Amino acid sequence: MLKLSNVTMEFGALRSISELDLTVNEGEIVSVIGPNGAGKTTLFNVITGIYTPTSGSVELEGKSLVGLDPARVNHAGVARTFQNVRLFLNMSVIENVMSATYGHTRAGLFASALALPKSRKEEKAVRAKAEELLSFFGSRLTGYRWDQPAYSLSYANRRRLEIARALATEPKLLLLDEPAAGMNPKETQEITQVVERLRAEKGLTILIIEHDMHVVEGVSDRVVALDHGVKIAEGNFDHVATHPDVVEAYLGRGAADRK
Amino acid sequence: MSENQVPEEIQESAATEAAKLGIGTDEWVAQHEERIARKKGIKGLPQLINESIPAWARWGVLLLISFAFGAFVDNQYLLRIGVNLGLFVMLSYGLNIVMGYAGLLDLGYVAFYGIGAYGYALMSSEQIGHHWSTWLTVLIIIIGTALLGYIVSLPSRRLFGDYLAIVTLFFGQVFVQLVLASDNITFPWAEDYVDITAGANGIPGIDPFSFFGHKFLNIRDYYWLLLVLVALLTIAISRVNRTRIGRAWRTIREDALAAESMGVMVNRLKTMAFVTGAAIAGLAGAIFAAMQTAVFVSGFDMPLMTMIYAAVILGGSGSLAGAVMGAIVMSVLPEVLRVTNYSEILFLAVLVLTLAAVGKSVKRFTINIVGIALIGFLVKILLGAASIKTTPTKEWVVGPVSRALSHWMYVPLDRVLWGNCAFVILIVLIAYFTTTTPRIKSILLPVIGYLGIFLWEVRLVTDVNTTRQLLIGAMLVVLMITRPQGFLGKARVEVL
Amino acid sequence: MSYLGQQLVNGLTLGGVYALIALGYTLVYGVLQILNFAHGDVYMVGAFIGFFVMVGLGGPLKPSVPVAVMILIMFLVAMLGTGLLGIVIERFAYRPLRNSTRIAPLISALGVSILLQNAALLLFSANIRSYDTSSYISSTLGFSFADITIDGVRLFVLVLSIALMFGLARWVNGTQVGRAMRAIAYDRDAAVMMGIDVDKVIRWTFFVSAALAGAAGVMNGLLLRGVSNGMGLVPGLKGFTAAVVGGIGSIPGAMLGGLLLGVVESLAQGYLSTNFSDTITFALLIVVMLLKPNGLLGKRAIVKA
Repeated sequence: MLKLSNVTMEFGALRSISELDLTVNEGEIVSVIGPNGAGKTTLFNVITGIYTPTSGSVELEGKSLVGLDPARVNHAGVARTFQNVRLFLNMSVIENVMSATYGHTRAGLFASALALPKSRKEEKAVRAKAEELLSFFGSRLTGYRWDQPAYSLSYANRRRLEIARALATEPKLLLLDEPAAGMNPKETQEITQVVERLRAEKGLTILIIEHDMHVVEGVSDRVVALDHGVKIAEGNFDHVATHPDVVEAYLGRGAADRK
Repeated sequence: MSENQVPEEIQESAATEAAKLGIGTDEWVAQHEERIARKKGIKGLPQLINESIPAWARWGVLLLISFAFGAFVDNQYLLRIGVNLGLFVMLSYGLNIVMGYAGLLDLGYVAFYGIGAYGYALMSSEQIGHHWSTWLTVLIIIIGTALLGYIVSLPSRRLFGDYLAIVTLFFGQVFVQLVLASDNITFPWAEDYVDITAGANGIPGIDPFSFFGHKFLNIRDYYWLLLVLVALLTIAISRVNRTRIGRAWRTIREDALAAESMGVMVNRLKTMAFVTGAAIAGLAGAIFAAMQTAVFVSGFDMPLMTMIYAAVILGGSGSLAGAVMGAIVMSVLPEVLRVTNYSEILFLAVLVLTLAAVGKSVKRFTINIVGIALIGFLVKILLGAASIKTTPTKEWVVGPVSRALSHWMYVPLDRVLWGNCAFVILIVLIAYFTTTTPRIKSILLPVIGYLGIFLWEVRLVTDVNTTRQLLIGAMLVVLMITRPQGFLGKARVEVL
Repeated sequence: MSYLGQQLVNGLTLGGVYALIALGYTLVYGVLQILNFAHGDVYMVGAFIGFFVMVGLGGPLKPSVPVAVMILIMFLVAMLGTGLLGIVIERFAYRPLRNSTRIAPLISALGVSILLQNAALLLFSANIRSYDTSSYISSTLGFSFADITIDGVRLFVLVLSIALMFGLARWVNGTQVGRAMRAIAYDRDAAVMMGIDVDKVIRWTFFVSAALAGAAGVMNGLLLRGVSNGMGLVPGLKGFTAAVVGGIGSIPGAMLGGLLLGVVESLAQGYLSTNFSDTITFALLIVVMLLKPNGLLGKRAIVKA
């Protein structure tokens, strides 16, 4: 579904990603791991159009994403969450989700101003859809929570809301940037289940950046390890986790030799 | 125990409170934010009023009052104030879309108002000899200002906050200078110069509006037109705000990058906000020109811009009710200040209220009032003893308040000089006041109060425009420090 | 040729003034990332201080001290006065807002700008004043050189502005406070943790920034432009334009931007149209911002996500 070939991203003299090839097949859950500064988030930014790669191609279902702005990449079917959670803090919980339906709704300025039947119907549908998406996480984000401002949510709920918001854009491919960061063990375990359910219930293909190896082990069909922008290992979890280059990247040369 | 540590009993009581309410910590935390935001006493008043009156009742009462005003008031002067208020509300609404919703700082906004006014003037006066139908002219103006809004919005695609502010401010200045300079344009192929805008002289003799053969000769006609327009705009804008486009505007204000990643077409929406705001301002400008029957470019310069900004910010950026409130304050207040009688009373009322708010207790309040009175007598006696000449009462007295004050306050012969000295000292004292200890504060307060009265009576009361601008400037600074969300706006959380 | 040379000299002089204003914007922006809207009005205050000092010393025709000394005193007093004003503005209008929303300091600065303009109106009335109506100073100091008449005041202004720029560069690179300032501009949180007294550095930044504006204000007066309460708006805009064209936050950028702007404006006035020169400057700003959003010497900012 997603195919990156020979992607390089440079910032001046700094090369964040170097000649990277990456394929994600439909229905797959692929994890990207690597130490800090390995270029994982840069990879997400390249896929979602925030950065334009210096060279190489990014294709979604055969269509190139290079040069598209982030909104159009999203319309093509890619949604993401952010490492540092970027919600619309001063908008209500449900508005956060509703606003993400922008790409596949149509009501314009005049239709809304005049409250034409078409726009009212659309608004109703959007609201219902947002409520449904928020119920994906049980009762945590439903009922009275709908109209509370997003800033009043706890950290874990903010992460959940961000996922719900990403789902509202009706993506085919979902990019999760460290969904378990800052979560307690119970919440972390739940994230593992959520990722599984996203695939099972929503039929999504998922690319996930994660540091927590329990989550990586629990969800991934395939793991890709990056270091300094270069892919150093790829395969199933056991293969990558024990790969000498990966161990070296995380722990240094000595550790790899001792193994 | 270190200072930062929360005492255990407080932690415990917080926990028990949460448990008692039978809600999750999450919920309790959520309410905690609100509890902090909710201020007690006078400071919490705007919020209390805002929350306790339902929206429909507020707007209903406002509509009723406006209707009654238009139906029963016959005084031309009052009607003109009403029309000005209507124009001000329109401008605030437009700016509220650009700044309040989309979060774009457009400091050239007032130029669209000017372009609307000049556009109407050029198409409906002897200046270049066109008298087109009102329908056509207004239509051209709306489309023209919208197009111009589109062009001005182009830099906003690449620029953020401060940069955009300066580019648009520059745009506003260019408009003013173009109008000033376009009375004398020479083309290489023509011998004579061409006068398009009449420069600083302005364009007089503009036709009033005329719809279906009905000429708008009475101010009241414009009042009704504006009332209808404002009512329609209120409904339309609040609808837009609640639905798809409005939500998308607000996501841009919150976090443009995240919005874009969620499929919001950020550039298109920024442009849309600019265009909508510009068209509203252009329409308001056309109405203004037709009502005034003359336009001068100086009326579309920075002073008006700052007043519109002050209106939107005072009321609460992002809130329509706030925009109306701000417009009322900003357009009616100057009229009140113009009449010295009212302005004296207004000032004293504000002073007493401020003292009450600062003093906190009846005792302190009394001490302050007595202190001010004593200082007044003392100064009068001391300067009288030094036989420094005073202004005779009848030359100075402007209203009942100053008549009463004349027995108490020393009025110098050279009021400009003394007033200026008082002004400088007052500013220094206020600056010192905000940084000093409570003890010195309590001593300083009566002195500041006295100087304030002195300055107001000998200087500011007669210099309306400067006073107004000074007050707006001070208000903007104070408001940003104490209540950046304005009176009816919601407190915002921003991650930097 | 001589006409062109004349225009270039005029442009460079004007550019020196713009550059000084631009440096003030850039310094403050570098440290606090706020746009100091009141900067143009600080410049106005500087021009007024210079005027009153000159009047106090007997005026241009009958100075109680030699003319050179008088001009020196005018600059010193104006720079000191505006510098202190800068500190006061920072203390009361910006410091309380340091952790506020992005838009709040901008609005607050707008408020300060209105306050200063109208305080000046109240204190000094709306009359437009002129330093030297009979051009006495410039006529005593002028000389010509290869067809180009250079009046002494212009040359003096140009030299002084360049000297001030070099002084500033030395200050930023060579002193403790200057280094601390660069550290804060780079990463304020880290600078705090390294024990840098941020308040003190910001105070100094505002002092220097405002003092440069004050010097520019006196220069404006010496160049025989009118002094009035509203005079700060347009030069303020142009100073900011210069800072942006050069790349905001960059000190050499502000110098380059200022000089460039002065020359462009002067040539536009000389060859195209006097009335529309500001429009042309504005067009330059738009073009630079669209082509190089970070300015000629600015660093490219990387969007973080």
